[in-house]
Amino acid sequence: MSALPNISLPPDLAAPVRHSRLGWFAAGLRACVSVPGLVLFATYVGFGGLISGVGFPLSAGLLSTVLMWALPAQVILVSGLAAGTSLPALALAICLSGVRLTPMVVAVLPLLRGRRSNVFKELFCAHFVAVTMWVEGQRRLPLVPVEGRPAYAVGLGGGLIAMSACGVGVGYFVTDSLPGPLAVALLLLTPISFSILMVRNASVPADWLALVFGFVLAPLVADSAGGLDLFWAGGGGGTLAFLAARLLGRAA
Amino acid sequence: MSGLTGVFSGELGAALLVILVGFLPNEIWRVVGVLVGRSLDEDSAWMRWVRAVATALIAAVVARLLLTPSGALVAVPLWLRLAAVGSGVAGFAVLRRSVLGGVLLGEVVLVAGAWWLGIG
Repeated sequence: MSALPNISLPPDLAAPVRHSRLGWFAAGLRACVSVPGLVLFATYVGFGGLISGVGFPLSAGLLSTVLMWALPAQVILVSGLAAGTSLPALALAICLSGVRLTPMVVAVLPLLRGRRSNVFKELFCAHFVAVTMWVEGQRRLPLVPVEGRPAYAVGLGGGLIAMSACGVGVGYFVTDSLPGPLAVALLLLTPISFSILMVRNASVPADWLALVFGFVLAPLVADSAGGLDLFWAGGGGGTLAFLAARLLGRAA
Repeated sequence: MSGLTGVFSGELGAALLVILVGFLPNEIWRVVGVLVGRSLDEDSAWMRWVRAVATALIAAVVARLLLTPSGALVAVPLWLRLAAVGSGVAGFAVLRRSVLGGVLLGEVVLVAGAWWLGIG
């Protein structure tokens, strides 16, 4: 599957055509069916397996997909609730994990800004921004005429959310009926794909250090008071990585 | 893992938690992105710190998922869980940085190991 041409020009955008707003929405919807979209679907199947494994209601799992639309934060929420983490500590960890959305929105939004843009429309479009949308948006949106971009983005983002929600449902219902090794495979899908995506996104030394510090610190602070383990591992590990990278940079 | 207990066990309670503890603290950063717009310097020390914290946090989440597994995963020994994730990452590096290829390799290692150990 890796041979699919996901770098080349998307076929639906190869020839500049004039669509209505609905047409651009439909074009965005069609663009979901791509390798990144399918990987996303599979990861959300894993999330569905996770929520069924810890006894989290499907409705709330679907709601989290539509409203949060950020898998790491969703996994923090569900695994934290299952582990009995205190709610303020959970909110703090989710808040820390969400900071990475800001630069993504900042990167995608200028592409979306039409001639008559208002802040509410921008907030609505920004909701669809997450890592897949960020990557795909930067690749595809410049090829769409400016007036079609908001509709295209909503089609692409909404389609990705819908696909992911289907994935959650599939994972939720399938886990129990799968034979042992396959159920296990479904539950490990999230950690495997997260690890690979983290390695893919790591470019500077601070990224690699943060990856290692977070991973190593997590078991060491697992029993910290108030359920603040993710706060210490994430905030502490990230800060250490940031400082160490600065020191390394200065020494070099 | 018996799952969620107490006042938050109902579907409505869980939905409320998703909104208050999940949606709001997460969505605020999208709102910030819209409001600060282009005045954000991606290469500032502040942004580099933010990226490091977000990365460490996800790494910690992965570690927690591996160390305190749920459901059927409990039956899989820790070494096999780690080996599966490790071969997934190695597969990604070897297979021309293909995310799908890495995920599949990690899963194959896991399923083969689980089958060999007679799990399920």
